[in-house]
Order: sequence, then C-alpha cells, then structure tokens
Amino acid sequence: MTTVIREHDLEALVVGVTLLGSGGGGDSRAFGRILGRRLGSGELELLDASAVADGYLSPVGVVGATSVLAEKLPSGREFSTAVHAVSRWTGHPVGGLMSVEAGGLNGLSALVAAVDLGLPFVDADLMGRAMPRLDQFSWAVAGRSLTPCALSEPGGQIVVVDNIDPAGLERAVRSFVVHTGGWAVLALAPTPAADATADAVTGSLVRALELGRAHAGLTASAGPTDVADALGGRLLGDGRVDEVARYGGRPHGPGGAFGRGTVCVVDEPSRAVVRIETENEYLLAMVDGEPVVTTPELVCVLDRRTLKPIAVDALRTGDEVLVLALPGPDWWRHGARLSHVGPRAFGLTCDPLLLEAS
Amino acid sequence: MTGLAPTLAAMLTAPGWRDVVVLGGAQDPGPTLAGSRVLMGVAGHPTPMPGELLVVLLASDHTDWRIDALISRASAAGAAAVLLAGVEPLGRGAQLLASRLQLPVLGSADPLAAHEYLNRVTAEPDRVRAELVLRAVTELRRVEGELESVLRTTSAVLERPVTLAGSDGGTLAGEPLEAAERPELVAALPAVPVAWAAPYRVDLSSGAVLIAVSVLGAGPACWLVARLPGVVPAEVAAVPAVLTVVAPAVGQRLALRRLELERDARQRTSLLGELLHGERSEATRRRAVDLGWQLDGWHTGIRIGADGQVDAAGRRTDVVEAFDAEGLPAVVVEQGDGWSAWITAAREPTATEVQQQAAAIRRVQRRLVQTVDPYVGVGRVQPGPGGIATSLAEAGDAAGLARGRRETGRFLHVDRLGLAQLLLAWTRTDTFQPAARALLAPIEDQPGDLVGTLAAYLDTESSLAETAAVLGIHRNTVSARITKIQHLLGVDLANSDERLALHLACRTAR
Repeated sequence: MTTVIREHDLEALVVGVTLLGSGGGGDSRAFGRILGRRLGSGELELLDASAVADGYLSPVGVVGATSVLAEKLPSGREFSTAVHAVSRWTGHPVGGLMSVEAGGLNGLSALVAAVDLGLPFVDADLMGRAMPRLDQFSWAVAGRSLTPCALSEPGGQIVVVDNIDPAGLERAVRSFVVHTGGWAVLALAPTPAADATADAVTGSLVRALELGRAHAGLTASAGPTDVADALGGRLLGDGRVDEVARYGGRPHGPGGAFGRGTVCVVDEPSRAVVRIETENEYLLAMVDGEPVVTTPELVCVLDRRTLKPIAVDALRTGDEVLVLALPGPDWWRHGARLSHVGPRAFGLTCDPLLLEAS
Repeated sequence: MTGLAPTLAAMLTAPGWRDVVVLGGAQDPGPTLAGSRVLMGVAGHPTPMPGELLVVLLASDHTDWRIDALISRASAAGAAAVLLAGVEPLGRGAQLLASRLQLPVLGSADPLAAHEYLNRVTAEPDRVRAELVLRAVTELRRVEGELESVLRTTSAVLERPVTLAGSDGGTLAGEPLEAAERPELVAALPAVPVAWAAPYRVDLSSGAVLIAVSVLGAGPACWLVARLPGVVPAEVAAVPAVLTVVAPAVGQRLALRRLELERDARQRTSLLGELLHGERSEATRRRAVDLGWQLDGWHTGIRIGADGQVDAAGRRTDVVEAFDAEGLPAVVVEQGDGWSAWITAAREPTATEVQQQAAAIRRVQRRLVQTVDPYVGVGRVQPGPGGIATSLAEAGDAAGLARGRRETGRFLHVDRLGLAQLLLAWTRTDTFQPAARALLAPIEDQPGDLVGTLAAYLDTESSLAETAAVLGIHRNTVSARITKIQHLLGVDLANSDERLALHLACRTAR
C-alpha cells in the first residue's frame, strides 16, 4: 500500500514528526516549507517497505546541531553530494532513499532529498522517533555496520568514513560538524532494499501523518483526555510548568552525554506533581514521584491552548501544558533492543516503563 | 515506646540534631518520630516503617529524579520523614512532592549520627541519661573555681542554656532567662524549696520546657534551671538527673562565694568602725589604702537603711551596682541593717554639684526599690579623714528622719542651711511630741498661759521686758510667772541644756 503526500498534508506531517520527536529531533517546520515549495502542486509517494524488493537504499538525514540549521542555511547540494560520495565509494548506485530518523526535522529532510535527487522514498527509518546518538540507529543495534558513510556540510566539504564502530563514527561526526558548519548531511551506504528495511523501523511517516491528521481534527473544545484519546496515548498531566531546570553540559552518569534537565508540571485537577527528565528529548516521566513512562515511548508536551507540541528547549516556566505519553515504535520493544534506547541508555537507572505495562 | 517518640520540631532543636535542616515538606510541629531506619542509597526500597524516620546515607545529588521516587516510596512505606545525606536544596519536583505527600524531607551532613541519636532517644533513654550524667560528673571534676565555669560546663554537657535563677526568676549567673518565661517559672516553683523535692518540670506555653532543681547553700534559695526548647522525652528525663548532680557543686561554689563576701564585709565594717571612732593610726590609713579608700578630700556621707530583714552583705553588690549605674564612685560598707557609703571629691564641690549629686543619690535609691525598700539620708560635704565620720553621722540622723517621712520619698539631704529646719522637723516627730507634752504637762493647766509666757520668754532670749512687751502685760507679772514655772517644772532656766529642751518643747506645743 502506498501513501501519497501532497502539499496540504504537510502541516499534519510536520505535527506528526514533531510528536515522534518526543520533544527533540529539531524543528521540522523549515523542511516542511522547503518540501512544500519543491512539491508545488505535485505529489510524493511514501513507498511501503514491503513493496520494495530490489535496488539499493541509502538512509539519509541531518546530523549535528539541528538548531543551527535556522542560521546556517542549506546550500541545497548537501544531500546529492553525500549520496553520490557514498555511492562512488561503495560502487553501488542508489535506487531509493530512506530516513535515518523519523522524529523531528529528519522526518522531512529525507523527503526533500528524495524530491531533489528524483529518487523514490521508502517509508523506513533507523529510529522510528527521535534519539540523540548514532549507536541508537536500528542498524547498529541489529549488528549491521553503519559504515561506509559520507558526510557533506553546507560549505561543500565531504568526508567519507569507513571501518569504524558506531561509537567511533559518533566521535568522527561530532568533531567534523564542530569544525565546520555545526551540522552536516549523513548518507549511509547503499544497501539491498530487503536488508535495509529488515533492520529498520517501517511505516513511521504514515504513522506521523495519521497522528498529524488526528491532531488537526481536534477542535478547540477538545478536553485533555479527548486529545490523549485522539492521539492514542495517555494523559499524564494538565497544568502549569512549575520549573524548567537545565543542568548545562554536566554529564549524568554513563550515557549522559547531553545536558540533563528537569521539567516540573503540577497537574491542575489533582495537584499531582509530574516530573519529566530531559536531555535532547523528554526521557522519563514521573507522577507523584513514581516513574510511569520512559523511552522508547514518546513523552510529548503540548501547549494547552493551541495543542502545538513544545520542544524541550522551547519549554518555559509558566507554560500551560498537557503532558502526554504515546506508544513508541514497536521495533524497539523486542528483546535486547530495549536496552539500547531504554532509560539506562541515557544514564537513568530505571527499568523501561512501556505504556501497555503501566 | 510511643511515649518516647519526640516530635520532629523538638528533634530539630535537640543537641544531636544540630546540623539537621529541613529541605522540604516542612510542618509544625510535624510528625512524631518513633525510630530511625537506614537506607544505603536513593535507589533503595524501604520496607514498611510506620512512623519512623528513613535515613539515606548516600544522596549526592538532591535534584536527582530518584529523590522524588524515594520520597514517593517512603511515603508509601509509612515513613514519618526522610533524612538525606547533604544539605543542598531539593529540586523543585521533590519539594512539591514532599509538600503534597506531607512528608518532611531533612538534610544532614552526617546522616548516620542523626540516625543513631534518634534511635538512642527513642529506644534507649536510660543510656542517654547515663551518658549525660557520667559526662557531667567527669567534666565537673575538671572545673576549677568559679560558679560561672560550673554553669558553662553544665551548659556544654547538656548543649542547652543553663541558668542560676533567684526565687523571683532573676538571673544570678549563667545565661539569662527570657523575660516572658520568668513569670511562668516563678508561678510553678514553691517559694521555699525543700532539699529532697524532685526536680520541677515547667511546661511553658511556648512549647519549651524548663527543668528546675533547687540549690540549697548559704544565703537565699535559688534554682538551677535548664531550658529545653522542645520536648524530646529522653532528654526531658535525663536533664533533671544531670542538674541534680550539678546542684551540690553549684551550692558549694555559692557557699564559698558567700564566705568571701562575709570576710570582706567584716574587714570593711571594722575599718569603718575605726574611722568613725576617731582611731586614725598609721595602720588604719594603710588598711584604708589597701581597700582603695581615699581618706583625704571632701566626703559626702550617705546612709541607706532598709526595713525588715535585709542580707546586707549579700545585697551589697546591688547597692554598688546602683551607684555605678549612676556614675557615683561611692565606697559602700555594710553596717547594721543597711549600708553606709560615702563619695570623695578631690576639691570642695560647689552648691550646684552638691545638688546634682543629691539628685543622683535619689536615683540610686529609686534603683534599689526593686530589691530592698530603702530610706536614705545624705550628710553635708566634710573635709579630711574626720569628714567621713562627721558626714556619715549627719547622714545617719537624716536617714533616721527619712524613715518615717513617706512624703519626701524617704529621702533627706542635710545641706548647709537645712540642719536647723531638720531638727525642727524632728520636734514634730512622734518620738518627740509625747516627750515634749510630758515635759510641759505641769504648767499646762495653770492659770495665766504659762506655756505661752515661757515660749515668749525663751524666744526673747530670757528678757523680762521684751516678754512683757510681746505679751502686753506688766514685767512683774512676767517675772512672777517665770518664777512659778521654774517652781512647777523643777527646772533652772539658767541651765542651757534645760532651757533648750524647754524651748523645743514649746515649739511643739504651739
């Protein structure tokens, strides 16, 4: 089954990938606008992963400081140079694109690349949501190498990296983007479609589109539980943000590479204290001191009035919000995969708490 | 066991919990703490522990989400409060949660010590008492000398303020009692303490507790008082035992102090006696110098008497302090049931200075009203070593007059001109009037106004002619009446002493 995206779907898609971002993943609106201009009156097919049998797929996406995108604008050639570089290195022609990350701006960046390069887009990605590290790519977790891969930054520099483990690749990518424009396009090796999608999360953008459409269907009179029901999630809190504390770059135990923060929301009806631990994303939600939901489930904070999702770095004390938990990608729930994206992977010594279980 | 559980508020004032602070969920007076249990780290799971304190030994980061989780678990386990290692402020979430669950969260740099202390006071009150008493005994053996250091040591052992209070609640030594709490203490204590009486426990309306043990020594009874700001039952039970041990030591110090006081008083009194009786040998002078008395210069004598039984030696300090407070450099000596004092100036004071000094002495008297009910006489300024005796004699007379004269505030000052007036005033006293009437009784009912004639005769310096002129009668009549008066009274008007007595008696009779 194939889903088709037209310009008028983009608004819903932007909201959908933002929800999949769980507070992180970067602002997808810029790529939403770029995609809108590229599409015009045309359309883009989201190919179902099971329908693609042959050819090589290359996952692409933006890595680095996604917030810099707003200041350091893309030149427009990053995707094509990165994909061509990795294709030349491996000797395999790229027959289609998929995304490295479904949450946040990378939910849309690969679509822009597909339109620009004139390649088909397969609705498969390596995370199914937004996550901060390359070793959390499903390929890495499944034991598939992430290299060779190519990086291309807006200044025109291209780097091809090979023979390196995910942690080493992470270091290479970080040092590259730090010394260039702050962000770069990453294109992973072209891989036979069956292999590429077997170790990937599939259907994330279709889900994003559904979430976005359900969100758009909510009227102003929708109550908090209506919102949770419409999005298929659970309401954790409804009230005012009492505190947003950010602890800077202080690492918080193993895995805590990013600045840890804490958000406190006092639920208005019950006066319950809802606390959310954050890094780049909302990671762990507690109600009255009891952890109730963790990664890989999605914790989303919505503006209570406009119902727009609020990112971790945009949340402020005094905001009136709804705190929701949505089911995360099913792919991560199986077996040992959970340990790579559970709270312990972020330095939070807590067992994963999934929505069905709670 | 529950009888031994202190409230959180009381524990926060307890000596063993000095470094414990409230980080969140504060309440007043808070729950009672039945005991204490230890948890290694914030990730631990407490077993059910109704009413007990949960002590967490390792809690490096108070903003950690696991603190919130722990608060939630502790509340579910029934804990009365949580005590974390470290005193850094809690994260906002933990604060909100602590208030919401009404679970006080405390912090301490040494959580293990706080845990052990709470367990001791809740489970082993006898040990608390034994330890305190033993420490008090050991420490007191090392204390040398002063009463103050005994109180200081006791205070250090109890880690509570300790006061030696008079029966009126006034502070004799140690840390002063709070003024508001004095009446409550005085109301609870008997006026006359009994040696074998158990220590008194006074529960103040503020929630604090005073423990009072009577100290019986030489001099008036007083009380050894310790103030406990909150009721930690084990401490309330232990402090009386400690004070009972300390009380005899305090009594001994008081007796020693009294002995010294009496010795000094005796020395001063005997020296003053020598001065007053004119024995001014070289030895007297030397002893005066030893006591810091200046015999030369101009002296103003002051006599302070007090009604009723007064401990002149014991109260001397009050008198000295009152003079000091008014800036008067007076020498004060216990004498009889009062004090003799004098002020020495290097040169003769002017009239204004004398007036100012008298006013200051009046203020001294007013200060003393609080402790004794004094009557005060002030003598004239007299020069030289003999001046002390002279001025004091005048002061003594003035004081005797002042005693009965409430209208002058029981204060009399013999200044340069006032002596005659003073004596005259004395003739109107209850002592003299009956005597005067008895003296003149034989001529009172005789015909021809013999009393009037006698008065006029004495007023006119025994002149018959003047008397006749004043009374408007013939001088022979006067002469006859005088002869009759001398006959009836059996006196010789040529004798100056008898004449004076009659003259004064006539003044009274008018």
